[in-house]
Amino acid sequence: MKFLRTLALGAALAASAAFTQAKAETVRFWYHFDNPANPMTDLVKKFEAANPGIKIEAENVPWNSYYDNLYTSLVGGNAPDAAMVKLFAQPRLAEMGALEPIGKQIDSWQGKADLLDNLLELNKGPDGKQYYLPIQYVVLYLYYRTDLFQAAGLQPPKTCEDFRNAAIKLTNAPQTYGFGLRGGKGGWDQWGAFVMSQGAELKPGGLVKPEAIAANQWLVDLFQKDKVIPPSAPNDGFQEIVAAFKSGKTAMTIHHIGSSKDLVAALGDKVSAVPVPKCGNGQWTSYGDESLAIFSSSSVTDAAWKWISFLAEGQNNVAFNSATGQLTVTKSGSADWKLHERRFVDATVQSLPFAKVLPQTSAVSEFVNTAWQTNMQQALTGQITPKQMMEQLQTLFAQ
Amino acid sequence: MSLSISSPMARRRISIWRSERLLPYLLLAPAVVVTVVIVFMPMVQAVFTSFYDLILFRPNASKFVGFGNYGKLFSDPVFWTALWNTIIWIGLTVPLQMGLGLMTAVLLNREFPWRGLARALIIIPWALPSVVIALMWRWIYDPNTGVLNDILIYLSIVQSAVPWLADPKVAIYAIIATLTWQGFPFFAVMILAGLQGIPKSQYEAASIDGASTWRQFVHITLPGIAPVLATAGLLRVIWVANSMDVIFVMTGGGPGYATHTLPLYAFIKARQNLDFGYGTSIAVTFTIFLGAFVALYLARTMREVER
Repeated sequence: MKFLRTLALGAALAASAAFTQAKAETVRFWYHFDNPANPMTDLVKKFEAANPGIKIEAENVPWNSYYDNLYTSLVGGNAPDAAMVKLFAQPRLAEMGALEPIGKQIDSWQGKADLLDNLLELNKGPDGKQYYLPIQYVVLYLYYRTDLFQAAGLQPPKTCEDFRNAAIKLTNAPQTYGFGLRGGKGGWDQWGAFVMSQGAELKPGGLVKPEAIAANQWLVDLFQKDKVIPPSAPNDGFQEIVAAFKSGKTAMTIHHIGSSKDLVAALGDKVSAVPVPKCGNGQWTSYGDESLAIFSSSSVTDAAWKWISFLAEGQNNVAFNSATGQLTVTKSGSADWKLHERRFVDATVQSLPFAKVLPQTSAVSEFVNTAWQTNMQQALTGQITPKQMMEQLQTLFAQ
Repeated sequence: MSLSISSPMARRRISIWRSERLLPYLLLAPAVVVTVVIVFMPMVQAVFTSFYDLILFRPNASKFVGFGNYGKLFSDPVFWTALWNTIIWIGLTVPLQMGLGLMTAVLLNREFPWRGLARALIIIPWALPSVVIALMWRWIYDPNTGVLNDILIYLSIVQSAVPWLADPKVAIYAIIATLTWQGFPFFAVMILAGLQGIPKSQYEAASIDGASTWRQFVHITLPGIAPVLATAGLLRVIWVANSMDVIFVMTGGGPGYATHTLPLYAFIKARQNLDFGYGTSIAVTFTIFLGAFVALYLARTMREVER
């Protein structure tokens, strides 16, 4: 390790030497956009024109290995100055001491009043300090096919029982299935709508409660017994569930407003959305956040702050979100929001009252990255029981 | 030569440079330095790391645990699953690639119109990047929108769509089929080169003696390409063993642990869970296994070929 540290130190020294020699301050910024229409160049131009002393090097890092690259670059001493980050990563980053507190800057920033209510509160660090500046948000809801529901004489489901009945009625295997479940990477937030809503919690004893195990059993039964979920579900990721929904293979799926444009382009008026169903006595959906943070290793924190606060302001934030297809965090931007059809914005807003973020512990990162997926796949394919799945996941949250 | 060397110092320096003992080392030095710095040092570093409990996001909690990671490894059921998958992975992929490559090479060695074009086209799977191939086959296998199930249902070979990558019993074989498709052109091209090195006169002599096509194949063709098969086989064993990009993109090691191989398991542990101590102990163990296999293979195969 000593060698690595020496190497990192050397690299950092060389980098800082290079910085002091350069006249303009350079801010290295990492982000991830899936959309090929990328407005980042325009935003950088606009910013550099307003701030002549600062140069922005914005790098689009592929999402699939975004956090792997971020953590290793932080440890290797070659981290960017600022980056797009999600809440689940905050405890790890805080534990590494990698984050620069930005509470003071936010307080004296004119854009603070324009941020939507409660967002800063949701984004607070595990130690109560402010490290994250919100940049966009989404909430997961239920997409459904209006034409198929109408043909079957069904209403969009309000409860888990409604949901199961509708899924059974809409299934005509192997041509169509009621629900497109994401059993592969990133599917934990769909799972949460059915299992976290019924009392499961990511804390000691929180996953092995009888009601949580029963909820998980119910979900796995939808796949194994009711067969209302396509057999491909254990390996399905985002691309697969969207493709199956667009092609009419599935009648319902759960995702956020980010995919609405794509779905409307394929299905037009035949797709709409409602909040996820209420299961048992609870309703739970995932608040999908994205923020900007400055790293403590940066030597240009002031310039980095100017850049990230620029991205969170009014029309800049709207331009940013037009690329990601998500929702703006500013009140002025929300007022005349034209990027999405009204019905999807409504479903998002109706879901906000029960939208939650996962607890900020280090084990949650492992749960999200690998553990949930491996165990869910084993349960769906019958290698372990749904109860064993919950017991194995519980070991992550033993303390 | 009009240049004259006057001082005795300079003359001595040149004689050292010309010294036949030193010159080869000087010429080799740059390559050796590069190899030591970018191959051997990380390897030694990996062995050291594997003796530590090192989680990347807790760098200060790192401590020496000796063989602790290895102890944990051998009692980890996922390790044994991954080892077994690795054996299936190498044991099926390489022979299948070799067999298909051999058949292709024999066909391409015959005279037929557009042979040059066929030889060029056959290389395409090998020339495509692994990630592109993995994504392509992921969609071919897709039970909801994929073309493979469509064809099989149309031909009434299966009744309903098979979830190729979502069924733990089938997934690894589906990926092996993909990798076989990707890798056989390498064998085809190598073997084709070997085939063209066999003198025609041997076949003529054999046919005059009345040897059938099959006997010509067994007694002339196979011995003629044996050195190529041995070398290409060895290279492929090493490449296939270490290749995890196709598996990673197609299933990410799932469903469950059904397509975990040891290099993939090491990657997931080290890079996704940031548990570098445990991850490197998997990698080091696998390197020892693979090294032992390669040594054994070299000892046996090369002896056969030389005979």
